[in-house]
Amino acid sequence: MTEFFPIFIYIFVSLGLSLFILGLSFVFSVQKPDPEKLSAYECGFDPFDDARSRFDIRFYLVAILFIIFDLEVTFLFPWAVTLNQIGFFGFWSMMLFLVILTIGFIYEWRKGALDWE
Amino acid sequence: MKELFLNDFKLAIPELFLISISIFLLVYGVVYSTSNLKGYPILSNNISRLALITLCFSIILVMNHPIKEAVFFSLILDDFSSFLKVLILICSFTSILISLDYLKEEKLNSFEPIILILISTVSMLLMVSSYDFISMYLGIELQSLCFYVLAACKRDSEFSTEAGIKYFLLGAFSSGLLLFGCSLIYGFTGLIHFEELAKVFSGIEHTNAIKLGILFLAVGFLFKLTAVPFHMWAPDVYEGAPNSITAFFLITPKIAILGLFVRLFLYSFYDFLFSWQVILLISSIASMILACFAAMAQKKIKRLLVYSAIGHVGYMLLAFSCGNLEGIQALFIYLVIYFIMTINMFASILSLRHVKYIADLHQLVRTNPLLSITMGVNLFSIAGIPPLAGFCSKFYLFFAAISSSLYLGALIGVLTSVVSCFYYIRLIKIIYFESPKTWIHYSTIDKEKSLILAITSFFILFFFCYPSPLFIFTHKIALTFII
Repeated sequence: MTEFFPIFIYIFVSLGLSLFILGLSFVFSVQKPDPEKLSAYECGFDPFDDARSRFDIRFYLVAILFIIFDLEVTFLFPWAVTLNQIGFFGFWSMMLFLVILTIGFIYEWRKGALDWE
Repeated sequence: MKELFLNDFKLAIPELFLISISIFLLVYGVVYSTSNLKGYPILSNNISRLALITLCFSIILVMNHPIKEAVFFSLILDDFSSFLKVLILICSFTSILISLDYLKEEKLNSFEPIILILISTVSMLLMVSSYDFISMYLGIELQSLCFYVLAACKRDSEFSTEAGIKYFLLGAFSSGLLLFGCSLIYGFTGLIHFEELAKVFSGIEHTNAIKLGILFLAVGFLFKLTAVPFHMWAPDVYEGAPNSITAFFLITPKIAILGLFVRLFLYSFYDFLFSWQVILLISSIASMILACFAAMAQKKIKRLLVYSAIGHVGYMLLAFSCGNLEGIQALFIYLVIYFIMTINMFASILSLRHVKYIADLHQLVRTNPLLSITMGVNLFSIAGIPPLAGFCSKFYLFFAAISSSLYLGALIGVLTSVVSCFYYIRLIKIIYFESPKTWIHYSTIDKEKSLILAITSFFILFFFCYPSPLFIFTHKIALTFII
């Protein structure tokens, strides 16, 4: 666990450095706020309508798919490093797991969850 | 290694069969239902029928399993688990069968709910044969995940989505409690296997930490069983879900969770009997009392049935808290008869598709006399009027409770059962004697539902003539805990 200590220090150093760089721009830049500058940028026009919009369900779908396949990868890591110890039984167990996931993937594919227009 | 492949997987053949067929059906469904060439066919009816065949074969596989008793990995195979497996499979079978017509009429065209019912059935089979905390928890979670989706499967109905959200939140919370109980017991013993726990707990001094773990486990299970202090989600969820799904929800998970609950508490925690008996008794008495008074105030049929189901859970917990052979036997007799009565009730309700309020049943005797007789008989049986099946099960249950000196529980059980007669018989009064404001026309009942209605009514009416098979069978199952 001791090798995590430099990373811990590193996080704080990088946090300090980024805050320092962010602070520099506040110290040295010229700031003259006026309403035109502070309004939202919409290609030079005034905003057309309400900022609310329907959120596309596909973003959720992609996020959910990411979670599923991310979990799959976490299962693959220990399998990959111990493959020489677990033999064919371990190999085929993982293949079964992957087949089940692949069937889920086929389902998504046919349903059109991966289509983007 | 070779022996593993030769024999061990044979022990889980029904589960393996069911899971592979449900995966196959999923692929088949998705490929055909999105096929442009076939004109995007609606596959819900087709897949339901295939699922029915699959469940039939699984029942055959479970019943004719060559190996009767074995422990493999973290699963166990014995008479108890086989009995519950058959019961669960029959329950899934009938709940798909009675909803065939409903799916078509309500235009619930997606086939996924059927696949989810199959997968949750597999998970329930795994639950009743699970033999350590991990397989127990994984089984419960797989089942619950399927159920959250099933509750919300009617996407254009606000009730259904609300039911899904409520079920998800409360289900996740109760699973958390259950998991915390498991981790407490694991933390203080270092064991997760039921058999090892049973060995370790026999005759040791009872520490409070273990008792706390058992308390959390019991609360988690009582949540899942909708027993009273933890029942608040049930009426909304079961009312909001589509009728066909509610029929499935009201029975099947109860069988599986009760089976697991009984196995864990009567086998592994038997030495803690006096600590958990109190919890179960309090919950049981509270369920019986609340259900009988809350059901009186209901105007909707499904909500009334849910409260009645909560009351039935109370009776079952009373039998469970006896903690002896007779108690378990009474519990399973009650479970089987309750299962048949609920199937009958839901088959009737699914036959009257547009009925939502109790008041809509006015003068059913004129519009459909045969169905009204069936409902009448079934309601009498649920109320516990002799000589119907419901009376036999209640009688045996109170008998078991009295012989294990749970006098208070038995007394309250009898009293609440008398009170609950009121609202069951009020339904009969509405069906037979009250004149309607508007007449409701019902479509004819399809063949599947009428078959189920006929079989279950026959059972309810004539159970008392020949009850010994059920009694002997449940006795045999109860004996698995003694040996």
